[in-house]
Amino acid sequence: MGEYYGIDVADIFNSMASRFRPEGAEGVDAAIGYDVGENGRWMLSVRQNQMSVDRCDDLSGCDVVVRVDGQTFVGLNVGKIDAMAALGAAKLKVEGDFNLFAATGKMFTKYVPAGQEVAPEQELLMVKRTISVKQRFATGPIMGTFLQGLKEKKILAIQCPQCGRLQSPPREICAPCRVRNDQWVEIGPAGEMRMLEYCYYASPDPLTGETRETPYGAIGILLDGCRNDEVFWHLLRPDQLDEVQMGIVMGEKVVHGSRLRPVWSDNRTGSINDIKYFEIDK
Amino acid sequence: MQKDDFSKSYVVEGKLALPYTYFAGRVGSTFLTTLRDQKKIMGVQCNQCEKIFVPPRQTCERCLSDIRDNWVPIENSGEVVNFTVVREQDKHLPRKTPYILGLIKLDGADTPMVHIIDGIDPEKITEGVRVRAVYTNESDPSILYIDHFEPISS
Amino acid sequence: MGYKKRKRHVGIVGIGETKFSSHREDVNQPEMIHEAVRQALDDAGLQIDDIDCVVHGNMELFEMVHQPDMWHTLGSGAYGKSSFRLTTGGTTGGTLVCGADNLVASGMYDVVLAIGFEKLQEGHTTGGITNMADPLWARKLQSGALTAQAAVKLIAEFGEERARRAAMTYRIIMDKHACKNPNAHRAFHLEWDQMEDLMAHSPPLIGDLRLIHMCSQSDGACAIIFAAEKKAREISEAPVWIRDHITVHREETLNLANNYYPIDTTHRFAAETLYERNGIENPLEYFDVFEMYDPSAWWGVDWLRDFFLLEGDEHIKMVENREIMIGGKMPINPSGGVIATNPIGATAMVRVAEAAKQIRGDAGDHQVPGSVEHGLASSFGGTMWTVLTMLEKETNW
Repeated sequence: MGEYYGIDVADIFNSMASRFRPEGAEGVDAAIGYDVGENGRWMLSVRQNQMSVDRCDDLSGCDVVVRVDGQTFVGLNVGKIDAMAALGAAKLKVEGDFNLFAATGKMFTKYVPAGQEVAPEQELLMVKRTISVKQRFATGPIMGTFLQGLKEKKILAIQCPQCGRLQSPPREICAPCRVRNDQWVEIGPAGEMRMLEYCYYASPDPLTGETRETPYGAIGILLDGCRNDEVFWHLLRPDQLDEVQMGIVMGEKVVHGSRLRPVWSDNRTGSINDIKYFEIDK
Repeated sequence: MQKDDFSKSYVVEGKLALPYTYFAGRVGSTFLTTLRDQKKIMGVQCNQCEKIFVPPRQTCERCLSDIRDNWVPIENSGEVVNFTVVREQDKHLPRKTPYILGLIKLDGADTPMVHIIDGIDPEKITEGVRVRAVYTNESDPSILYIDHFEPISS
Repeated sequence: MGYKKRKRHVGIVGIGETKFSSHREDVNQPEMIHEAVRQALDDAGLQIDDIDCVVHGNMELFEMVHQPDMWHTLGSGAYGKSSFRLTTGGTTGGTLVCGADNLVASGMYDVVLAIGFEKLQEGHTTGGITNMADPLWARKLQSGALTAQAAVKLIAEFGEERARRAAMTYRIIMDKHACKNPNAHRAFHLEWDQMEDLMAHSPPLIGDLRLIHMCSQSDGACAIIFAAEKKAREISEAPVWIRDHITVHREETLNLANNYYPIDTTHRFAAETLYERNGIENPLEYFDVFEMYDPSAWWGVDWLRDFFLLEGDEHIKMVENREIMIGGKMPINPSGGVIATNPIGATAMVRVAEAAKQIRGDAGDHQVPGSVEHGLASSFGGTMWTVLTMLEKETNW
């Protein structure tokens, strides 16, 4: 017991003192607990650029407790297992201050099993760059007409002369019919919510590189005057994420979603931001 | 034919910004750390094609032989085999224009490498000028561990 | 559709795959793709001089290197050869196979090397994918390829409990397959008794799409060598033949309609068209293995219905009864699939490579038992686009 990949769990803890990097623990004053299942429990105390680690059964006073099985713990330390992957698979659980757990990566040099020390490895270099490019997009007459409509609080759709399909935001052609759309129709502005993408994942807005605030809701909304899959894509008022219901159409079964209305920006410039979001239409 | 109405068409300012991380790899890192720590230039040799490549590469692009371990030292000096003068200023450029971008064939290498040539009037640079590397303490890993090449006064 | 039968048969004669992982600090891009190229050449017993043309592809926004095929000449072997570059989003790898197949089938070249790669660690995958969306509208709204639409759909049709269990069953099966594949990026050794825990505690990304359901972000490359029939038989004792392929596109933005079946999907349309023109009446009976581009467990479950033209809950039952496992009636992704390994520009090509290995019978620990004669591989990309490729052991169709 206790050995994985030929390495003893305890050896990783015992070598922490020699691997400690005070510069990586600047400003940290905390206790970090490790519960490595049947292999035992350890508590790591970091304070004033010093650290100590001991076996400790009671981890209740720790700022963060890491629960992990022995195989995963050793795998993480020798680079066989990726931490994000282990978190994803719930093989590694972090209870408490997650940022503190993440900071432990900087506090220690890499664990090298005894007897496997070799000549210093070639340092592997990398550069980090945020690549930022200014762009200019021409709206063209179709998207331009639609965006200008938003300035006047109008949501316009374009209609296919052949199948009658409405598209908003509009496209110049109806792809299935392969014909040019020619008729503008005002739709909404209120409608029924169909799909809610309840987003927890903080992805970057590629227009700014800045991370979006979570949670947020991207929605598909069937605006009044539209049918079938003629939905409009926008955002939901963030504080109403848990109050809305999705609409469903499945053969004969129809469930109506929440009624929503747009909230317009005061300063409208002819862009997607002219609508702040949709909110429940009470 | 129907005339399009472009009066509703306009231009929207946009931006694209995302974080990237580039890895030099083991061969590239060996080359760069030698520049940084020893101020020496290293190349790799393909024994089959009898060519010495600078900057180095893991495989010979001609015969695809693995040449990653065939390190050979290269001189810090060489000859300008071609050049251009960069005149249009742009924020992504490493220097204020005008400056010379040269193809420099280092002594001991078979392939020329691109770098900045400084210390000579851009209007007076010619092919055949002898130059040598001037190093810097730049911290961000790149070929700019060599700041520029300067003429060797004869 | 202006479809014409091929002029000559095209065989897969060499396959190379790197080990896929989350990080490859030890190589730059041309060095990484070279690992796959070297393997494919060795597998075929060829030298780079034997290659007539190189087809190369990935998605540029992921690493933000433009025209990487030029830099990659250092590792691709394209120096002095005809070379093409293809990029079609997630389907890139599938399109590379289509392109190489067309180049050989048409008589243009006898031996073509196709290379797909991605080094996702170098960029921001979700940000990169979001950049494909319309800059004036959808870029503000989209979050890469993350969407819970399939989950919403399955839950509405089959109820929360059954749908969630089916998705997690699918996920665990894929992990069990990945554990048998030494090239797979993520192999967690998930156990069936973790099901409840994962359903409840895996971090949510969007709606019912949790981290455990979603594909990895991987680094790696795949290379396949294609040869005209005469050459193929000279080069290899067991070439794997490309019988047919189909690509189906649709309009470019995601549709948040939440309209359920029956709706037309590119998957179903592609499958129907492909089977019809090849006289396949029962795809479940016909194919011995299917390597599916399954970006999430939810999509994996949902798409079985489209690809095999199933009705009602037949696809859910396939998963519940574990018929999709290695040794089951219709093994899906013996390699572990895309959830385990997703180096995007290589991913769809890995589907073809893995299906071809199954037909050759040398897939290793994840080899499907029994004779594998007919293989299917799918690609998924853009906003719901499909490429389907049919592979055969013999040219007797």
